[in-house]
This record gives sequence, C-alpha cells and structure tokens, in this order.
Amino acid sequence: MFEITNLHASIEDTEILKGVDLTIHKGEIHALMGPNGSGKSTLANVIAGHPAYEVTEGTILFNGEDILEMEPDERAQLGIFLAFQYPTVIPGVSMANFLRMAVTNVRNARAEREAGDGEAKKMTPREFRKLMREKMQVLHMDESFATRYLNEGFSGGEKKRAEILQMALLEPTMAILDETDSGLDIDALRVVSEGVNALANDEMGVLLITHYQRLLNHIKPHFVHIMMDGRVVQSGGPELAHELEAKGYEKLRAEVAATA
Amino acid sequence: MEATATKSPDLTGFSREAVEALSRSRNEPDWVRESRLAAWETYESLPMPTRSDEEWRRTDLRRLKLDRFAPYADLDGTITDLASVASTSEGAFAFGEADQRAGIVVSRDGGAPYVELDPAVAAQGVIFTDLNTAVHEHPDLVQQHFMTRAVPVDFGKFEALHAAMWQGGAFLYVPKGVQVELPFRSFALGETAGASIFTHSLIVIEEGAEAFFVDAFQSETADEASFASAVVELDIADNANLRYVQVQDWGRNVWSFMTERAILGRDAEMKNLQVTLGSKFSKNSVGSHLRGENALAEMLGIFFGDGDQFFDHHTWQLHESPLATSDLEYKGALKEKSRSVYSGLIKVYEGAQRTDAYQQNRNLVLSRTARADTIPNLEIEANDVRCTHGATVSQVEDEHLFYLMARGIPKSEAQKLIVEGFFRPVIDRIPVEEIQDFLQAAIARKVGY
Ligand SMILES: Nc1ncnc2c1ncn2[C@@H]1O[C@H](COP(=O)(O)OP(=O)(O)O)[C@@H](O)[C@H]1O
Ligand SMILES: [Mg+2]
Repeated sequence: MFEITNLHASIEDTEILKGVDLTIHKGEIHALMGPNGSGKSTLANVIAGHPAYEVTEGTILFNGEDILEMEPDERAQLGIFLAFQYPTVIPGVSMANFLRMAVTNVRNARAEREAGDGEAKKMTPREFRKLMREKMQVLHMDESFATRYLNEGFSGGEKKRAEILQMALLEPTMAILDETDSGLDIDALRVVSEGVNALANDEMGVLLITHYQRLLNHIKPHFVHIMMDGRVVQSGGPELAHELEAKGYEKLRAEVAATA
Repeated sequence: MEATATKSPDLTGFSREAVEALSRSRNEPDWVRESRLAAWETYESLPMPTRSDEEWRRTDLRRLKLDRFAPYADLDGTITDLASVASTSEGAFAFGEADQRAGIVVSRDGGAPYVELDPAVAAQGVIFTDLNTAVHEHPDLVQQHFMTRAVPVDFGKFEALHAAMWQGGAFLYVPKGVQVELPFRSFALGETAGASIFTHSLIVIEEGAEAFFVDAFQSETADEASFASAVVELDIADNANLRYVQVQDWGRNVWSFMTERAILGRDAEMKNLQVTLGSKFSKNSVGSHLRGENALAEMLGIFFGDGDQFFDHHTWQLHESPLATSDLEYKGALKEKSRSVYSGLIKVYEGAQRTDAYQQNRNLVLSRTARADTIPNLEIEANDVRCTHGATVSQVEDEHLFYLMARGIPKSEAQKLIVEGFFRPVIDRIPVEEIQDFLQAAIARKVGY
C-alpha cells in the first residue's frame, strides 16, 4: 500500500536521504528508530511534501500512485497524515477554524472519491462540531482548546495532543508520527498512545518515528527499522527494538559498518 | 435611484467663486459663508505640500490634478428613505438594524441627508444631525467646535480647503453625563464621478458622557477620478468616553485625504479604529492629543491594499500631560502592486511624566510587487516614561503554509487563513460583533484568491 523505493532527498544541496527503502501494508504498525540527525524527520517531511526538500531519486507509491509530484494538500486529501515533531505556531488562526477547514477538505475529497459519479455527502458544520467535541473528550482536552490560536502558547504535551486530535479528525490511511512521545510525561504518553491505538485499524498503516523504546511499550509495532545516515540499515520484528535498547546506537553503528 | 446626479455645470477646480456658489446653493447664514471665505484665504496662502516636507516625503501628488475636479456635485432630491440608498451600501458597512443604533445620518455627495435619531436619546439632550442642519439649529456649538481646536483651519493646505469647501457630514453632541450605548452611524456616500466630496465628522462628548460612533465612507468605482476630503474632530472632555470606528471604502477612482484629531481631557478614554480598504490613493493623518492627566487612547488600524492602491498613514500620539496612556496597533496587508507607508510618532512633552506609550505597526506583504514602508519615531522630553515601539514588514511564512497544506487545506485557503490570522489580534480587540463580522468578511473579500 505504501512503498518507498531508493529515496534520495537533499536540502540546500546537502543530501540527507541516501536511498531509503521501506514498505508498509494496511494494518501494519512500523517503528522507525535511529540516532539524532539520521534523517527520520527528513523522511517524514519528504513524505508530506515539504517544499524545502528536493527529491533527487526514487519513488513513493501510495496505493499504486506516485505522490512525489503532488502538493502537500493533495497528499493529505489522499489520506497521508504527519504528526509533526515540532508543530508550527500560527498566530491568529483558531484551532476550531483550522480544524474545520482541514476536516472539510479531507473528508469532502474522500467523499468525492468514494461517491465516484454519485453525489458526495458533505459534512455539515453541526456534524463537525459534534465530532470535534467527541474526539477532544477522548484525548482529555478541554473545550477551551478550540478557541485558542493554533499551537500558540501550547505546552509541549498540548502540541502533541493537538496533533493526535487532528489525526483523529482526519482519519488517515497512512499516519506518520514523528517523535510524538518526546516531551510527554507518563500520563500524557498513555493518553496519546491510547488515542493512537484506538485509531489504528486494519485499513491503516502507521509509521512511528521514535528515539526510545518507551513508546513501544504502549504501542506495539509489527516491524522495527533502524535508520542511520540517511538509510534504513536494519529491519526486523519487535525484538529489534529491545536489542537496540540493550546495545545502544554506537555498537549497532559499528556492527553495521563491519558488515557493509 | 431617485436622485439624479450631475456635476456642477460650469465650475471645475476650486476657487473663491466655487466657495461662494456652494454657500449660496445652501442658503447658509452669513457667518458660515464668511468663515468659508476666510478659510479660502488661508488655503491660498499655504503652499502645496512637497516631497521635501517630512510628512509628504513618500507621497507622490504629481498626478493629483485639483483643477480637474468639480468642486461639488449638484444633487437634486433628498434621501427620503434608507431603502433608496441601500443598493449603494451593499457589501460595505450595512446600515444595521434600526433598533441597533442610536441614530443615523446618511448623506450622498454631501447633499441633503437622511437623518434619524432615537427620540429617547434626543430627550436626553443629545444632538445628532447633519452638519448643514447643525449650522442653522446649533450655531453656537458649531462655531465653538468646528475647526477651531482639534483640526484648526490653518492645520494644513488640505484642511484649509476642507474648511472652505465642506459639504456634509455629521454633528454629534452628547451633553454632560449622558451615556449612550448603541452606535451613532454616519455614512458619506459618493455618487458623482469626477466631483469632490467633503465630509466632516464633528463629535463633542461632554464631561462624563459616553458614546459610540461609526463612520463609513463609500462609493462605487468609476473611470473618472474623484476627490474626497474628510476631517474628523473628536472632542472628548474630562472623564468622557468615546469609541470611534471609521471605515474608508471609496471607489478605486478616489483620491482620499483624511485628517482626524482627538483631544482627550482628564481621565478621558478613546478607543479608535481606522479601517482603510478603498480609494486609489489615501492619505490619512490620525492623532490623539492626550491633554488631560490619566487619559487613555487606544488607536487601532487595519489596512489592506490590492491592485495599485497607495495608502499613507501617519499617526500621532501626543502626550501633553502626565500619566496618560496611548496604545497603538496598526496592521496592514499588501497584495499585488499596492504600496503603503506608515509613519508614527510618539511625542512626550516636557512634564508629561509617567507616560505609557506603545506603538506597533506590522505589515504583511503578499506579493513580490507589493511594498510596505514603516517609520516609527519617538520624541521624548520627559524622563520618567515608558515608550515602546515596534515595526515589521514580513511575508507569509513557508512553514505556516506547509503546515496548513499538510492538513489538506489548499494553498489559496491556507493563505486566506494566515492573512485573517494576521489581522485577528486587532479584530479581537473590538468587542462589537457586527464590526468583527464586517472586518472578517472585508478581509476575506480582499484576500480573494
Ligand atoms: N535546513 C537544513 N539544512 C541543512 N541540513 C539540514 C537542514 N535541516 C536538517 N538538516 C540536517 O539533516 C540531517 C537529518 O535531520 P533530521 O531529519 O531532522 O534527523 P532526525 O529526525 O533523524 O533527528 C541532520 O544532519 C540535520 O543537521
Ligand atoms: Mg527528528
């Protein structure tokens, strides 16, 4: 369903991704681990279509379609979602207003795809408000959240929760969570993990980018990949994460260097 | 449209003859005619501003041909009901429901206006009428306040011309201690292309009184250039309180000159909002004299240029007494080939200790061909003061756009959200829903895309 092949990407003429291969099927949860600076966020941003990165080689296929030529909004409308490591603050734009526009665009695009030639059923403002309230409750978010400006003055945990709220509302089929666990205390981590577990389903692929084993105690991945220096250097089952935790990245790096 | 609009047949440009013809056509009392003629003398004695004058340094008047405008439009026909002018006001500031205002004055091309005042408000001694009526019915008050204090006749070349040629506008007088919650609304509508329109708002709030005034200037865009001159005088006595909102939405053929001065007494409070949307050229000068101790002036501004509009705003925070506060925030967006100049001065006079003055101008430039200049200035002659100012010119940030697009919002809508967000903090400071809605819609229309 989601297939990255030999992906190379640069920023300001510096190559960061040096041939990434990764395939995720429906219903699978993949964890992507790796030291700081190995290119995990770069990969996430390239998938979402960040304009600062230039893809120099390779493909990303989503349900058989090459998404690399698409604008970020088209990718999102197809069902790709990235929970950002560092969500942007946008002054003056209220959460509610932003969420309504995002949800309307994504859901309407989906409704149109599903309706084919038929009449697409669009979401009404009342339906939206109801849905937003429901999802906020699940994530233990106060109603006042909706009237605040996008990420402005949000604590680290609030930002991450807001990202998961967006995911819950947009119902993606391919979700990438970039370090969603960082900066969360144990309670927040539980709420967020429960949120993700509740959303993950047989129709959805998940890529969990994380530094630590900690998150993987709450969300069980089917596969674990290790990224170093712009490549996926090792892939395996959940046991790989434990192995990594025990050994540390340095030892693993040496092993990889030796086998290369 | 009931009235027929024609240009004054044999006059173009401004002249003593035009002043006399105007005064005659309105059957004005002698004192009005004489004061007009005196103002005309002042006008003639003052030099036309040039680019060597600081306030006009970035303003190009070379294409302004004053001698081509008809000095005033001749309108036959009074506005008998609001419905007859409703179509002109469509899309702009609607007239609002009758039970949502204390009174309304609508004048078209400075001609005979429509006037309405809530009888319950009138019973408290409030005067609200058009200025032409006021010179007949309240000559003492008009003589006392009209271009004597806030904007004196010799204030400048264009102000002197205004004093000679004024045609319409509103006069509001709120007596001591009277507090009126609902807004007084004045609409100056322009109709005759090629003609001049001079509109004056004279607002006098006596001690301890309170009022809310909404001024709107509007015309449709026409081919032929028109000239608009507005003078706004706000006299706010000790302990009095005024909220004043002005929306300028002239057609794109209009050269607009607007001078506004407020005088605030002790413990007086003014909340001011200036909205500039229309005209091809707009020169605004907005100032507050904090004359009494402990006065408070909030000065907000929103402007949004498109096409080849040129907006020039000069603001003055004049701290003449101790312990006063002024809080200014002007925000502008510029798209296409529009240009703006903002220049603001905080002046603290000798002895005005414990002044608290804040000035902020932020500009969002939405295209490579648009441009904003901002020039903040401080002049401080007291030593125990707090003055802060900030000025920025920026563009829509790629990161903001990307974040919104990554949530499925198309670029044009994302841009709209960001621009609305840019203005939002100012809009939030005006706790009047009708005005908030109007501003939001006006901004959305301007962003367009
Ligand atoms: N704007 C940029 N210009 C140059 N290098 C960058 C830029 N942004 C990130 N990098 C580099 O790209 C590499 C990968 O960063 P990133 O994808 O954020 O790693 P990770 O998420 O795995 O910690 C790092 O070495 C970082 O320094
Ligand atoms: Mg990262």
